[in-house]
Amino acid sequence: MTDAILEVNDLRKSYGAPDQPIPVLRGLSFAIERGSFCAILGPSGSGKSTLMNIVGLLDRPTSGAVRLAGEMVDPGSADQAAHTRNRLIGFVFQSFNLLPRLTAWENVALPLLYAGVPRAMRKPSALEMLERVGLADRAEHRPGALSGGQQQRVALARALIRNPGLVLADEPTGSLDSVTAGEVMGVLRELNRSLGATVVMVTHDRDLASRCDRRIEMLDGRIVADVTTQ
Amino acid sequence: MSGGLFKGARLSLAEAAIEALDNLRAQGQRSALALLGIMIGAASIIAVLSIGHMAQLETLKTFRHLGVDVINIHAAPAGMASVGVLDRSTVERLPDLDPAVLAATSFIADHDKVSAGVMKATVAVGAVAPGLARLVRLGLSEGRFVSPVDDNGLVAVVGAKAAAKLSSPGAPIAPGAHITMKGYEFTVIGVLKPSPFTPLDAMEIDDAVMIPLTGAGRVFPSSQPTGALVRLRPNADVDAAGKRIAAMLDNPTSSLVVIKAREIIKGMNAQKAIHNQLLAAVGAISLLVGGIGVMNVMLMGVMERRREIGLRAAVGATPGDIGLMFLVEAAVLAFVGGLAGLIVGVLAALVSASISGWTFSIALWVLPLGPGVATLVGVTFGLYPAIKASRLSPIEALRAE
Ligand SMILES: Nc1ncnc2c1ncn2[C@@H]1O[C@H](COP(=O)(O)OP(=O)(O)OP(=O)(O)O)[C@@H](O)[C@H]1O
Ligand SMILES: [Mg+2]
Repeated sequence: MTDAILEVNDLRKSYGAPDQPIPVLRGLSFAIERGSFCAILGPSGSGKSTLMNIVGLLDRPTSGAVRLAGEMVDPGSADQAAHTRNRLIGFVFQSFNLLPRLTAWENVALPLLYAGVPRAMRKPSALEMLERVGLADRAEHRPGALSGGQQQRVALARALIRNPGLVLADEPTGSLDSVTAGEVMGVLRELNRSLGATVVMVTHDRDLASRCDRRIEMLDGRIVADVTTQ
Repeated sequence: MSGGLFKGARLSLAEAAIEALDNLRAQGQRSALALLGIMIGAASIIAVLSIGHMAQLETLKTFRHLGVDVINIHAAPAGMASVGVLDRSTVERLPDLDPAVLAATSFIADHDKVSAGVMKATVAVGAVAPGLARLVRLGLSEGRFVSPVDDNGLVAVVGAKAAAKLSSPGAPIAPGAHITMKGYEFTVIGVLKPSPFTPLDAMEIDDAVMIPLTGAGRVFPSSQPTGALVRLRPNADVDAAGKRIAAMLDNPTSSLVVIKAREIIKGMNAQKAIHNQLLAAVGAISLLVGGIGVMNVMLMGVMERRREIGLRAAVGATPGDIGLMFLVEAAVLAFVGGLAGLIVGVLAALVSASISGWTFSIALWVLPLGPGVATLVGVTFGLYPAIKASRLSPIEALRAE
């Protein structure tokens, strides 16, 4: 597969002492096609979050390789990992992780700050992203004044503001009711189509998973099923 | 500030400072507490330097009327003698005898009870020669100073403060008034303008009643002078001239003490230096305490904001960006404390000036020192928390509650 945004090869992760390792990821290999919308499913403790964190360069594997947009990731350099996260990856968390002191647009603009985008240029970009997620009128609100669904849409805007190749969403609808979850999923799907961003989404919701192009199912640190619907 | 301590930081200092101000405002009260220590430290630095500066100006002002080229020779009794004396005619010939001497005058100084009508007071009593007025640059507000024509006359010149003490309603001390001393009645011929007291003066002229030296025997044990003031040429070698003059005036009944203006100034400065060192120590200790306060606030901030740190890392902040953010916060915190300290310090200097009766004055170079030193302290003590923040693992930071 040549047009893969993400390639993972024999990825392993263990916790615990070196002489008594507790394996969590037991040799994963897969590739994710650019522009696809992929769900990762699996019971609690199967290693979904661990995988997402390693792929998102927030954590390091015990062994194995991660290739992002065709480039090998150097597991040693924290600075390079930060730059790659900024440029290539957008995170969406279950708990939104918005900074409460900042307004919606300031939260959205945060990745631009670390990309070195001048202050004057950040606001227009952030407002444009907020418009895309249907929150143009909430730009000056702080997260505390927004509903859960609205907060997660702000987080989506933040994840996509640098137009990253890969959006990693770990249970993005986990703390939302099913109606709101469906709405957020719809926005994510829309952004995937219009911006061409690849989305990898961890979910426990089979309904939402069925709306994805591909479903990777994990169990005990291994991939047990990988289904693509066309 | 890419490179350097937090290499890999892509945030500009200006961006970091704006972020820092936002974050500090959010911390509110706790920041205020850390500010207090820094403020006191910076305030004491400003106050110390300003007070020192004003004291220096005051010293110079004190010697302005006298000049710094004056020496005072005091004859202390030696051996069996009960009083030390100087030879008046030798003193008066000093300008001819020594090329370094511009003018010289001799006097006797003491304290005594005097009265004027119903008013009684203890004042300085001096027997002086006409040359004193020029040598010490005395100004007259009324009448005239003692002159050669007074010779043995029962006349007196009164200092401004002594005049005020001895005046009564309807009977002001003015030329023509009478002052009684040791049973003699003296007629006032002049009243002086207020004049500051210098440590070099043998008596507080402002608070003195002065009579002609020639007739001093009526009030003092003898009419022989006990002290002399000598004005030297501006660039004269004060030490050498002092030695020569002492040798010329040497006599068996007296041991001569030579007091030089420059030495007194040096002594006053040294005293102030000790005083300043003490205050500076207070400032240093407050800054230290303030610095530890800043470190505490920052460490607590790092702990509480772990999720924020994790999130910032997730969206692309490098360890350097995060370290820089906290370092700038510490610096801004301390800078604000330093600014407050600057204001408090200037106020303290103002109050201390008004208590000491000094003219308020601030040296401009002192002003940036308060915030400057405070910022330095903030950066120093903010370093450890900043490094700690920059070393947090993003994944653990994100997982924190
Ligand atoms: N820092 C850690 N130290 C030790 N064990 C860990 C650590 N992080 C995760 N684990 C273990 O790794 C396993 C996988 O965790 P992970 O969070 O990836 O599961 P998950 O599939 O995301 O589960 P869930 O659906 O509950 O979120 C779990 O058994 C967990 O206890
Ligand atoms: Mg998980």
